[in-house]
Amino acid sequence: MLPFTSSGSKVTPRHHVSGYSNGYPRGNTFELSPHRFQPRLNSTPAGRRRRRFYIRLGILVALGLFGLYYFFFGGAALSIFSLGLLSSGEDFQLETVRYYDLSNVQGTARGWEREERILLCVPLRDAEPHLPMFFSHLRNFTYPHHLIDLAFLVSDSKDRTLEVLVENLEAIQASEDDLAHYGEISIIEKDFGQKVNQDVESRHGFAAQASRRKLMAQARNWLLSAALRPYHSWVYWRDVDVETAPFSILEDLMRHNKDVIVPNVWRPLPDWLGGEQPYDLNSWQESETALALADTLDEDAVIVEGYAEYATWRPHLAYLRDPYGDPDMEMEIDGVGGVSILAKAKVFRYGVHFPAFSFEKHAETEGFGKMSRRMGFSVVGLPHYTIWHLYEPSVDDIKHMEEMEQERIAREQEEKEKAEKVKKIKEQFGDANSQWEKDKTEMQNLAQKVKQSTGEKAATEDKKDTTGASPKEAVVAAGKPAPAEKPAEKPAEKPAEKKIGGGAAKAEES
Amino acid sequence: MARPLGPVRLKKTNPITLLIGAILCIFIIYFLAAPASSDFSKARKSTAASHPLSPPTSPFRKSNSKGKASPPPVSRYNLNNVTITSDPIGGRENVLILTPMARFYQEYWDNLMKLSYPHELITLGFILPKNKEGNSATTALQEQIAKTQKSGPEKDRFKSIIILRQDFEPPLQSQDESERHKMQNQRDRRAAMSKARNSLLFTTLGPATSWVLWLDADIVETPPTLIQDLAAHDKPIVAPNCYQRYYNADKKKMDERPYDFNNWQDSPKAQEIAAQMGPDDILLEGYAEMATYRALMAYMTPEGGDGDVHQEVPLDGVGGTALLVKADVHRDGAMFPPFPFYHLIETEGFAKMAKRLGWHPTGLPNYKVYHYNE
Repeated sequence: MLPFTSSGSKVTPRHHVSGYSNGYPRGNTFELSPHRFQPRLNSTPAGRRRRRFYIRLGILVALGLFGLYYFFFGGAALSIFSLGLLSSGEDFQLETVRYYDLSNVQGTARGWEREERILLCVPLRDAEPHLPMFFSHLRNFTYPHHLIDLAFLVSDSKDRTLEVLVENLEAIQASEDDLAHYGEISIIEKDFGQKVNQDVESRHGFAAQASRRKLMAQARNWLLSAALRPYHSWVYWRDVDVETAPFSILEDLMRHNKDVIVPNVWRPLPDWLGGEQPYDLNSWQESETALALADTLDEDAVIVEGYAEYATWRPHLAYLRDPYGDPDMEMEIDGVGGVSILAKAKVFRYGVHFPAFSFEKHAETEGFGKMSRRMGFSVVGLPHYTIWHLYEPSVDDIKHMEEMEQERIAREQEEKEKAEKVKKIKEQFGDANSQWEKDKTEMQNLAQKVKQSTGEKAATEDKKDTTGASPKEAVVAAGKPAPAEKPAEKPAEKPAEKKIGGGAAKAEES
Repeated sequence: MARPLGPVRLKKTNPITLLIGAILCIFIIYFLAAPASSDFSKARKSTAASHPLSPPTSPFRKSNSKGKASPPPVSRYNLNNVTITSDPIGGRENVLILTPMARFYQEYWDNLMKLSYPHELITLGFILPKNKEGNSATTALQEQIAKTQKSGPEKDRFKSIIILRQDFEPPLQSQDESERHKMQNQRDRRAAMSKARNSLLFTTLGPATSWVLWLDADIVETPPTLIQDLAAHDKPIVAPNCYQRYYNADKKKMDERPYDFNNWQDSPKAQEIAAQMGPDDILLEGYAEMATYRALMAYMTPEGGDGDVHQEVPLDGVGGTALLVKADVHRDGAMFPPFPFYHLIETEGFAKMAKRLGWHPTGLPNYKVYHYNE
């Protein structure tokens, strides 16, 4: 609107004041118009009825449609009202496609910084007694727990291994501490119908080795093939019966950046057996003798290390240990033991496994080492980095211990008898002493009487002498528990001499 | 009549407008209630894993919650209950179809979609090299997967699909037919192929698989009942005969010819050659320079091709073009040796290793699958 609308202006406006600068008629913009639109439908009663009917019909149809929809699609209908923003726990979507680039999971020396996932594999059979120890190790790992995926294979177990395992794992995952939680946890149950006993003797007997090792290999392969995922960079095999290991073992082994790496495995022994002993003899370097021996054996034969039946003259990792050696020292090996193996997942992805058949005359972990070498992977042992396996006494040891126990009992018996003898002797000596004392006092009395008769001065001298005698007796009593063989008088004499010496000094002073 | 400008109102609501409005409302409600069309039925959801850290053979729940993620649950898998029977559909047995892929063929995917085995029991696994060819194949594959899994009908959707990219370079630049079959290139090529197969197999097998079907990316035609038919034989390793359709210029019509020569029965001659070989040499089939006189399954089909499709023959070496394997065979450790294993490599070495573990391969000379013809 233009400003010069006043009628008193000299300049005649170009346009009529009441007109519009834009040429359009103004209409009633600022008027409160009384001319409202009046709907005509409601004007008649019939129209009102019809309208009400339409509304009711509309509501009914809407309700019916919604009911039908709810019937067919269930809870999804609720999200209409929440506009899909509030979804209940039941409402989720499925992801069916997974994409992984395997070049991202090669495994590097500093895996914990690059968030590399480790698969920790533990084969278990009748292992209930070892589980508490194992879980204490598990809790202590310094490698970030959320990057560790656990996989257990429970096979042919007759005790409560499975129940104890599940209870412990669920407790860990339910714990308040976020740092305690592990990644994926799989417990795999599979019975192979193993007839081989799991006790120490049948486990380590030579005859049972080949078939036992093949069954163990089978179990390991089943575990790995069920648990290995495309997001794993490392695989760590750990036996449940490791007693002592550094908490940082994963990082310590990983730092070497080798394809397959094992520490040295020893076990503590009771003192009478020498205190400690190499345990895992399956980590070794190949020798000419062993290769020649392998050529003479038939296709299905399995060479097992650590038995006199096959003298292979191989250098064993275990025997090369120096307790004060550099723990980072590496040694190339050909066979590996299965107590604690860290391997890059790549090794298993490319097909290396635990041969459950005779592969180059070896099976299980030794065959695994051989196959890794065959495929050009580095296999390394650390001779001076030691973990300690649990000591379980063998039957011989138990026999020996029983013998020792009997010996101990016999010795105790002997000692008891000896002690009794001493007591008896003591009693007898005690009698002799008192007898002697009696005699002595009598003699002293006699002597006193004799001295009394000699005179006053002599009498006082004698009094001094008797006071000196009574402590002398006390000293003798203290020296009593000396061996019976020794003459009882001898230890008694020395303090007595001292006293006498003291008395002599006194006498000199006076 | 000149009407002043202002809010335009219809004097009477048109019923057609109301109808259109109602229809629009229904559409809006529909899209609100079903935000994604890739929703799955309850039965499928019940088999899903609750955490992304889970066996890749099952789908997992995408959590919608923005809150703190809960730690993965303790999952128990009883492998004693994983059955492997001659009636896999009846036992609801999971099948894992594994395909090492260098090129994507639409015919391969179409054939896969036609398989009549229930798709909700099938997991697909692919491994592709990380080069230009592999990238384009991955793109093409992902396009088809998205089409099927996101917008396809639910019965067409597979249980889950895993795509892996190789972590090593393929030894040859070219995948051309002539280049690929040169004998000196064979060892390197097949060693790399073995690694690809093993990488695919051991990361995807998981705890629920009953059968593993190896199907090459260039198999473009199989009977739709392939899985059921092969499983019905109830053998640890079953290999159908792989043929190739081509235009026969002599007969002036389409014909077929044997393609896969790695399905064979051993011969004394081959054993003899092997005995004289160095430890790193391999025996190859289908080369004139090395006549092994092995009995090849490719030539066991009678002329005219009307033999008994159920006929079985024992085999000592198998090819990987199509191969149904009981998962237990792989779980025991049978893999594709990338090194000479008894002078055999890849699928032939696999047959040997399986035999060492006590699993014997079987061939079906008259049951045919067809290879792509380039």
